[in-house]
Amino acid sequence: MVAGEIMRYLASSFKFQKYVCGIGGRNMRFRFSNPFLILVASLSSPIWAQRATPQATAPTSDAVGGVVMKVPSGVILVKGAWSSSSDSETPVPEGGSVTGSVFTDPYFGMTYTLPTDWIEKYQGPPPSDTGRYVLGQFSPAITSKGHARGSILVSAQDLFFTRTPAINAVELINYMKDHLQADYKVERPLQQMKIADRAFLSFGYWSPAAELHWYVFATQIRCHALEIVLTSHDTQLLEDLTVELSKMKLPPEANPVGGTGGGAFPSCIIDYVSDQNLVTRVNPVFTEHRYNQIPVRIIIDKMGKVKHIHFISAFPDQAKAITDALGQWKFKQYIKDGQATEVETGILFGPQSVR
Amino acid sequence: MRLANFPKSANALWLPIGLLGAGLSCFAQPGGNGVPNDPGVQTDNRGTGATIINPANDPNGFTAFFQDGLKRMQAVESVSNSATGNNGLGPRFNSNSCSSCHAQPAVGGSGAQINPQFQFASNGVAPGNAMPDFITANGPTREARFPFFSNSGGGVNTSAPNGGVEDLFTVAGRSDAGGCSIQQPNFQAAEAANNIIFRIPTPVFGAGLIENLDDSTLLQNLANNLNNNLGISGTFNHNGNDGTIARFGWKAQNKSLQIFSGEAYNVEMGITNLLFPQERPSPEEDQHGTGLGAGCLSLTGTGYPEDASNPHSTSAAVLDDVSAFANFARFSAPPAPGQVTLDGHPIAPPSIPSGQAMFSSIGCANCHNPTPGTTQVSNLVPALSHAPVPAYSDLEIHHMGTGLADNVSQGGAGGDQFRTAPLWGLGQRIFLLHDGRTTDLLQAIAAHASQGSEANTVVQNFNNLNPTQQQDILNFLRSL
Repeated sequence: MVAGEIMRYLASSFKFQKYVCGIGGRNMRFRFSNPFLILVASLSSPIWAQRATPQATAPTSDAVGGVVMKVPSGVILVKGAWSSSSDSETPVPEGGSVTGSVFTDPYFGMTYTLPTDWIEKYQGPPPSDTGRYVLGQFSPAITSKGHARGSILVSAQDLFFTRTPAINAVELINYMKDHLQADYKVERPLQQMKIADRAFLSFGYWSPAAELHWYVFATQIRCHALEIVLTSHDTQLLEDLTVELSKMKLPPEANPVGGTGGGAFPSCIIDYVSDQNLVTRVNPVFTEHRYNQIPVRIIIDKMGKVKHIHFISAFPDQAKAITDALGQWKFKQYIKDGQATEVETGILFGPQSVR
Repeated sequence: MRLANFPKSANALWLPIGLLGAGLSCFAQPGGNGVPNDPGVQTDNRGTGATIINPANDPNGFTAFFQDGLKRMQAVESVSNSATGNNGLGPRFNSNSCSSCHAQPAVGGSGAQINPQFQFASNGVAPGNAMPDFITANGPTREARFPFFSNSGGGVNTSAPNGGVEDLFTVAGRSDAGGCSIQQPNFQAAEAANNIIFRIPTPVFGAGLIENLDDSTLLQNLANNLNNNLGISGTFNHNGNDGTIARFGWKAQNKSLQIFSGEAYNVEMGITNLLFPQERPSPEEDQHGTGLGAGCLSLTGTGYPEDASNPHSTSAAVLDDVSAFANFARFSAPPAPGQVTLDGHPIAPPSIPSGQAMFSSIGCANCHNPTPGTTQVSNLVPALSHAPVPAYSDLEIHHMGTGLADNVSQGGAGGDQFRTAPLWGLGQRIFLLHDGRTTDLLQAIAAHASQGSEANTVVQNFNNLNPTQQQDILNFLRSL
């Protein structure tokens, strides 16, 4: 995929997201103009475009200002720490969705056509406070007596916040392979391969007890290890699914040891927030002492100001305090190839984890 | 043998067993007709409800504290004038005895098959009350909560989270309650507005082991489990006072067994105590700033707190009830595993270890950790020192999706987050999940999957198993 294609793709994805994702959420198939959605947004974060709650169906309550005659079922209105972002236009990793039979994640520049008659029955949980994302979970639409044939999990691990001792997807996958629980046996050694003309790492393992096989494929995009995990009893099915992965579209940077942005994306740099790069830093003032980690992914513009904030997991009051602080931060310009360049990085507020 | 109805792989597994001899032919066959079945509540005597203390190795004499707690768990409380001195009930309550809710399969467990709450309006415990329609003769023993406050017009204000316990009954109409005549909450309106959720009692067996796990062990478990291919990433609820990991209750909102007991005594039975010394207004009275009406204060006539040390003015040093309850839970033994029968026949021996292995392989054990650790040194009894904790829980809170979400926030846990329920004792539990919505393990497993649940991939892995394998997991679970 050339850069122009990526831009056209992203542009169409933005348009798609405005319609499908409503208030910036995941695959919410109703419009932003729904008054209840406005209510939901105001409940959780009146200022930021809170990532919407996964829900089974669009609520049909007669909402007026926050008072309803019937509380909608299947909606999480009272949230704990959750993801949100400073604007609804900039894609976020968890913003992927399925339309028809095509899974699209604008943040990663990823398009994947589901196997015939496979669906996403349920979306995954919100991002974790360690930067783990469930992007998509797919399985056959039809099961026989409750017995499914297989499943596909698409996930990502943000390398800014992983607690695994890894700085790229290669190290992450190696660590995973070397630390499989005792139930599993490696049956396909770690190998490099090309999928959809992009570099991947792959290995496979199986459970003798469950007689299930897992094929793992990983690459790196924008400092995230992007993983695709195929699971089935049937290794022929796994081989077929592997072949079908070739229809996937990913940006040119996808590479287990590359994938550090550039081109259509900002350059991503782990641990960029340091005295060496910061000109002005103002610490957030939290109004309530909590004990959760607050991973925050930011995009710094060419002038060194924070232009986008993605709270991967934060309470609304924490997000507000951090927003107020980051608005005052100033970085040195990041120069790459003689040009001022946008930078994407992560910063952890709250209790600090040990990497 | 119902091999004819089995998939090929199932026959392959069971044929050798069938050839072992006629003696094995009485074993129940898993997955008859290709459909796995929950073996149901196991009724064998597993010794549940005993103490963890070895009387021969109890240098500080805590066995007596366990027995004292056991006795007080079964005490029936009155509002006032009790001949046994067990006063303080109400003015609002869900039951009048700890053991009425913590009953199955022994004192300290979860709800029994016969729900004692159902009789309260007719047997004099709550004579001036109407029986809510969600309390039935053989349904789960429950507490109720309204996720949101309502306004006077009947609308529900989703901008005003409530989540507090709405006790089912009041002392109105009782002869020992003076003139207190407060009304029950409007449960019918809450049901009509879909603004009500339920919780069932959590068993306390083995709770002392959980209490004595140090935080660093739990944190290390969390770190070790993060790099999974299951989409699971838990976190902990924390105690607001000292920041340490809280671990009791459906959302791990309670730090210790003392707090857990004190809160339950106050909230579920309306008995003030050393930890919660004030009578508790309803959430609505609290919200409106009116508090509990004066006509319903000081009903016991003894002053506050109603539960205190030296309860009967003895000269000896006697614990308060809350401490006794905490001791009972703390010194309860973890439930022991047992054999499993299905349709009256014992399960074939290989099924349970096979199910255990698959339980782990498909990812259930990532959250339902069979052994979250070994306890730290106990200053109480040797039995709580360096002891394994076979709880089948990581004690973390996890996003469980829209299907299980109750829109109640407690501490750091949001409306969709729940503590991984310990599975020890599951074989003899009747009602499942936080609200007791099902008695069927298969339905409970299926309920783990919904929009936004961390368990979706694991449930999909379960669905990827064949019926015989699924049956083995069900058998294993009922062995716990």
